[in-house]
Amino acid sequence: MQDGCTLALDGVTKSFSQGRPEEMMALADISLDVAAGEFLTVVGPSGCGKSTFLQIAAGLMEATGGAVALDGRPVDGPPGGLVYLFQQYTRSLLPWRTVIRNVEFAVEGRGRASRRERREFCMEFLEMVGLADFADRYPWQLSGGMQQRVAIARALAAEPRILLLDEPFSSVDALTRMELHDMILKLWEDRRFTALLVTHDVDEAVMLSDRIAVLSSRPSRIVETIETGLPRPRDRITTPELPRFLELRHYLLESLTKPKDHAA
Amino acid sequence: MLHRLPVSPGRIAAVLLPVLLLLALEQAVDSGAVRRALIPAPSDVWGELVYILQGGHLWAPLGKTLYLLAVAYGCASVLAIGLGLLMGRSRAVYNLFEPLVEVIRPLPKPALLPPLILFLGIGDTMKMTVVGLAVFFPVLINTVQGVRGVDPVLVETARTFGYSGGRIVSRVVLPAALPFIFTGLRIALGLGLILVVVAEMLAGTGGIGFLIVDMQRTFQVTSMYAWLVILAVLGFLLNLGFERLEARLMFWSRQSEGRA
Ligand SMILES: Nc1ncnc2c1ncn2[C@@H]1O[C@H](COP(=O)(O)OP(=O)(O)O)[C@@H](O)[C@H]1O
Ligand SMILES: [Mg+2]
Repeated sequence: MQDGCTLALDGVTKSFSQGRPEEMMALADISLDVAAGEFLTVVGPSGCGKSTFLQIAAGLMEATGGAVALDGRPVDGPPGGLVYLFQQYTRSLLPWRTVIRNVEFAVEGRGRASRRERREFCMEFLEMVGLADFADRYPWQLSGGMQQRVAIARALAAEPRILLLDEPFSSVDALTRMELHDMILKLWEDRRFTALLVTHDVDEAVMLSDRIAVLSSRPSRIVETIETGLPRPRDRITTPELPRFLELRHYLLESLTKPKDHAA
Repeated sequence: MLHRLPVSPGRIAAVLLPVLLLLALEQAVDSGAVRRALIPAPSDVWGELVYILQGGHLWAPLGKTLYLLAVAYGCASVLAIGLGLLMGRSRAVYNLFEPLVEVIRPLPKPALLPPLILFLGIGDTMKMTVVGLAVFFPVLINTVQGVRGVDPVLVETARTFGYSGGRIVSRVVLPAALPFIFTGLRIALGLGLILVVVAEMLAGTGGIGFLIVDMQRTFQVTSMYAWLVILAVLGFLLNLGFERLEARLMFWSRQSEGRA
């Protein structure tokens, strides 16, 4: 398996409805370098343009200005090696396919492998997320948290070199979220892909990341980037009790909720 | 589940009602209240049905009608789904065809029979064309609507997994739009049956529609009613078969919506 790749955004801007009266500037000058194998999280308030930012990084949406490069190569469409975990995971699963066939969807493009080999390969990923017993169910027969695990298994089956995660844990309950955090960290430590997460959840950002980029409200720019410096492997009980965790949490919450004073 | 009783009272009444009507009709004809030359007794029609079935007289007309319907329905549906996919996926194609579709679509298709007979004569080609036209538009409209309604998240998911163009359409868009397409196909099947019968009545040589007018012209009223009954049963069975097929293939559709 190849190692993670780098992602560089240079002066990326995005205006919706450009040139029309309702023109709206979502992103104002985003520059960010994600290192290979790094877990980087972008935090920002809701509606500040996180999904927009991530879709541009994935080549799913065109930027108004600036450049995106993956491993130094310009991105002008979804590049190979990149996988995107959508915020709306229930909507990203194919309801007419069983769970295992949904995972297979990720690898069918590459396929000289026989049907059986493909199934076996994908079963490994379902086992990783603890859903092997549900392989032949349909997504709509599973709970929200389980559906999200299917989406994660499918993302990993594509063997991404970089995984983009758009608030993937925001619509499951708190306990499920912790389990998913553990799982994603373990998988990331195992497989060394680059991870770029966007979220409005400060605890989640601190818990998972090597580095955190703070996004201002709209038109958004990156206010600062912070190294978390927390030891790995992270632990869902002890890590949040570390003084550094509390310090980061305090600082980030303060900077995300304080009234706007960063005149552009 | 309240309706777990094998036969509910409402059900019994619903079956009893047509039986009672038939009995009343039988009575009315027997007593001379209704002229036998206009409406024969149901028992006579039944006798005629038995004669048609036992004598093997059913198959040729039924085969002829079903053949016309099947060819026209099949071809028109494939074309409509193909164009519907293009129109649903591409703004430019949509804008190109939309005015044309909107002009032809509301036209009652039987009105096209006279010009079609001028161009194509009274043979099978004409009949298939008019049936095809009736089938085409409901399938097209529903396909376009279904394709446009496909969740963009699904399409983008496919794109990030390296799918593009034709494979996005065949693996994602088409299956996701299938519930809509099937709705169009079901409506079109009913319309197709109507049109094939009308066309046969106007310019038929064999086929159930032709037989019904032919029997009327030659005063074989009992036989005419027997063929009407056959037509009703045919329509019922086609619709039933289609609903079964739809339920089998689209089992995921209602369930997943229920949870969304
Ligand atoms: N396609 C679009 N057209 C117009 N405005 C959009 C579009 N997508 C997003 N926006 C707007 O851009 C802003 C940022 O949206 P989004 O990136 O979804 O924010 P976030 O993910 O941080 O909640 C919002 O105000 C949203 O309404
Ligand atoms: Mg968002």
